[in-house]
Amino acid sequence: MNSLTPTQRDRGLERLRRLTFGATAGALVAVVGVGYVAAASYAGKSSTNASATAANTTTSTTTDSSSNSSSSSSSSSLQAAPQAPTTGSSGSGTVTSGGS
Amino acid sequence: MIAALRSWKALGTSVHVLATEADALAPASTAVREVLEDVDRAYSRFREDSELSRLNATPGRTVRVSPLLATAIGAAQRAARLTDGAVDPTIGHAIRVAGYDEDFSLVAAKGPQQEVKLRAWRVPGWQAIRFDPQSRTVLLPAGVELDLGSTGKALAADLAARTALAAAGVGGVLVSLGGDIAMAGTPPSDGWRIRIAEDSRVSPDADGEVICLPAGGVATSSTTIRRWMRGAAVLHHIIDPQTSLPATGPFRTVTVAAATCLDANIASTAAIVRGEAAIDWLLSCHLPARLVENDGTIHYIGRWPDPSGLAA
Repeated sequence: MNSLTPTQRDRGLERLRRLTFGATAGALVAVVGVGYVAAASYAGKSSTNASATAANTTTSTTTDSSSNSSSSSSSSSLQAAPQAPTTGSSGSGTVTSGGS
Repeated sequence: MIAALRSWKALGTSVHVLATEADALAPASTAVREVLEDVDRAYSRFREDSELSRLNATPGRTVRVSPLLATAIGAAQRAARLTDGAVDPTIGHAIRVAGYDEDFSLVAAKGPQQEVKLRAWRVPGWQAIRFDPQSRTVLLPAGVELDLGSTGKALAADLAARTALAAAGVGGVLVSLGGDIAMAGTPPSDGWRIRIAEDSRVSPDADGEVICLPAGGVATSSTTIRRWMRGAAVLHHIIDPQTSLPATGPFRTVTVAAATCLDANIASTAAIVRGEAAIDWLLSCHLPARLVENDGTIHYIGRWPDPSGLAA
């Protein structure tokens, strides 16, 4: 078996370092690339909601309620009440709905 | 069982707050007052210093508005979209020209001796509003004035009920703003009792129909209230966006129950404006409703309880 000269050994080690560095950098690029593609492909919107939630928690009571209302009243159709009205009788606590 | 009731005047109308828990009434009422003060500052048409008045006074400029005004404008645009423009916030100029340009007590007091020049023309339309809800910026082109009176009051009732419930912490709360009613939380065991009338000032003890609802909202629109005279013309506050004039359909009063007071108000106002087409439209929306014709004939639509047992 031929032994390597010190110069040959140094060149081999240098080549090995380059290969190791290249492989590591390639792996990092692949991980970032695949992650980016996955994130872009998935139709989530957690970051937007998180921002909205964070904004809501730092605003006033009225702002909170208006924000909640805007989400519940943004439906694309008029929404029926969960239960239909029933016939009642007047008594304590009756209020009037009429024009004003 | 209803434990407590508190009433006062705000936004040019009556306010009633009901709570199922006696201890909850005070914090609930305080919360409602605060919401209504915010609403008044944000979108009163009769305060020169309100955000809405300032917005109307600066056409052609992009204005960033508060979250509350942005919510109200978004709600008004949604109302216009869902009603094909029958409920349109760009009636501001039309209703001002008709004479409703200040608090109603002053409008009515001027009487018939004050003339107005009315002409039929279509309002600019809600699509003219350049509104970005994300940045909360609004640009009104020249000639466009907003009036959020219809949807704004109902939205205020919804916001007030939710905020009052949060302040109360327990039980259920009902908020009535001039007959536009919003409910939140746990209702009384037999539901909230609501008398249906053409005038919200009618006593709850008066004769008439009473319905029970556990949740959601109820709104009544009527051409018999907020009427005034200019010359020989009798005017009212429900403007038909197609003509810029007070609506002249066959129904004088419409009451609707919906998931929110806002949706109930959108439907009841649109029904007055749509006229004869309102019955089929309400049926297609699956919203229970009660319509009173100009001659007093009453129609019960969908799942609205008919005292005679004959629903449309």
